[in-house]
Amino acid sequence: MTLNINLLAAAALMVLAGGLSAETVGPGGESATPSSTVIVSDDKVGMVQAAGYSAALLWHDQSDFVNAVTAGARDEFARLGIEVIAVTSAGFDAARQRSDIETAMAAGPNIILSLPLDPVTSAAAFKAAVEAGIALTFLSNLPQGYEHPDDYAAIVTDDLFAMGNQAANALAAAIGEQGKVGYIYHDAAYYVTNQRDNAFKTTIENDYPNIEIVAEQGIADPARAEEIANAMLLRNPDLDGIYVTWAGPAEGVLAALRANGNSTTRIVTLDLSEPIALDMVRGGNVVAIVADEAYELGRAMAASAVLDLLGEDVPPFVIAPAITVTRENVVEGWNQSLNIDPPASVVAAAN
Amino acid sequence: MAARPDRLDGIQDLISQLRRMDFQTSVILLGFFAIFLFFAATLHDVGFLSTRNLTNIVLQTAPATVMAIGLVFALSAGEIDLSFGSVVAVSALASAVAMQNGPLVFGVLAGVGAGVMIGAFNGVLVAYLKLPSFLVTLATMGLFAGIARSMTDLRSIPVINERFTGFFGSGHLFGVPSLVIWTLATVAIGHVVYRHTRFGAHVLAVGDNPRAAQASGIKVQHVRLAVLTLCGTTAGIAGLLYAGRLQAARYTLGESDLMTVIAAVIVGGTALYGGKGSIIGALFGSLLMGMLNNGLILMGLQVSDQMIVRGLIILIAVAISLREVRR
Repeated sequence: MTLNINLLAAAALMVLAGGLSAETVGPGGESATPSSTVIVSDDKVGMVQAAGYSAALLWHDQSDFVNAVTAGARDEFARLGIEVIAVTSAGFDAARQRSDIETAMAAGPNIILSLPLDPVTSAAAFKAAVEAGIALTFLSNLPQGYEHPDDYAAIVTDDLFAMGNQAANALAAAIGEQGKVGYIYHDAAYYVTNQRDNAFKTTIENDYPNIEIVAEQGIADPARAEEIANAMLLRNPDLDGIYVTWAGPAEGVLAALRANGNSTTRIVTLDLSEPIALDMVRGGNVVAIVADEAYELGRAMAASAVLDLLGEDVPPFVIAPAITVTRENVVEGWNQSLNIDPPASVVAAAN
Repeated sequence: MAARPDRLDGIQDLISQLRRMDFQTSVILLGFFAIFLFFAATLHDVGFLSTRNLTNIVLQTAPATVMAIGLVFALSAGEIDLSFGSVVAVSALASAVAMQNGPLVFGVLAGVGAGVMIGAFNGVLVAYLKLPSFLVTLATMGLFAGIARSMTDLRSIPVINERFTGFFGSGHLFGVPSLVIWTLATVAIGHVVYRHTRFGAHVLAVGDNPRAAQASGIKVQHVRLAVLTLCGTTAGIAGLLYAGRLQAARYTLGESDLMTVIAAVIVGGTALYGGKGSIIGALFGSLLMGMLNNGLILMGLQVSDQMIVRGLIILIAVAISLREVRR
């Protein structure tokens, strides 16, 4: 797999992998702080409300995940009387993200929550916000050269290793810990997916000696997932399982399996999606979806930024846990991840 | 609009040209200022009218404006370039890589050179192999996007040459941001070439009726080669502007500019099928796109609502613009 070495070395939240004992640590080796400990206590609410703070949410893209992070942040800001004055989506375009930052800053926010698209291009983009003394909390990525606590309040992220690791464990369990699997990874320099994908691969290679990754294929455009899966199945018709980097392309892989009349190859993917979950609860190819606690990520980001404005010590590196969602816990899992009920079709099929 | 060659009196001429502006350009300007006034009235308390914000709009649209100039020439000649977004990434990366091992001039030559060569490559296929520009550039769009991805193995390359980032991105000359100077300079040059040179007249003639142009002695294939090379060149310059502004180059640069720039050019009064166009209109079209992004964000709309409103406004603007073109 193509992995951006600079990106990892420069900024990133390194994952010290060592089998199941691996843990996610921060860019300077900081240990991870669970998001559940990052709280703006009730006795500070009045003080924050009186300060009349405002916030901008400058995201990298639009998705259910971003919506849930936004909801978590908005609810926390509402509790604290903080107005959200701008919400943007850069569509994975680094230049657009820089424009979004400049535009939002014209409205004078005290807080910016954002996912920097990549460490190198984001370093200059967020510079003006740092210089303006805005409380910055980053999701999952850190601009190159930024120092805690002077430049930013905190990085909040998923337990990325745990997500890939849990996906590997779920797929292994579904195929009896032996067999041949396909590995469809995100072929782009994108820290979050790169880490999760690598964790899956590392776990299979280290912990499951009887499982072999016989086919690997990168994917850049989710719309091409079906043709990629078709080619993979043509060469390896006896695959026991396929890991797909996230739910969007997994929908294409599922379509390919159905078109081939294949009901035996198991799919495990990351991030919740209605068609994928529906297949899972109906007993189809999908056996597990590993999801993050997106709503909790948003809440923790908002809380970190507010604590920073209050002059309190904020842990530099905060992680929210991962959940393995299966047919059995789909309703609870959905709520835990996105803070909403699963779609009606999934609930109906689960009952 | 007939082109008038051989009169190059600089700014005086530009002003008189603006005075003689046709009804269509007036409509574009009217629409632009109507939207500006709407945002000014509704968003004055959140900083829309601040110098900083208005400057931001011009800075943010500078690369798109430069690309739009090349596209006006291509569309006016009856051609289209779909590959310029990919050229931006190749150019920015070529420039950043060149400057890792050499001085500023290497970076500029590599960036602009990549644009010129890719544009000429498109142009040769269209002009001399007689392939349709839509299909050629549709193919090269993917070809050069792939090359951009493989050039640095998906890595972003930092640009630390301060003279470069000043000249192409964050610098100022006499207090004016360099990106504003780039915008004004390229628009002025583009306008003069388009309206006041024999080449500009030939471009319009080829776009209006290639057979008649050929019969009147215009080297139609040379014009086609030239406009596509020009498109590549402006995309190459846009790549340098992005690299300067972001102080880095990345394979995704320019990826999302294709539709924005085409919309800016069409809204600005350039006919999709040749024979008519406006550089000044493209400038205002590009600024309109930037202003819409800016204003809709400052209005605090949800992202999906921003997209819906932006789409509707562009639809209305294009409808009005194309209606005027047909008149």
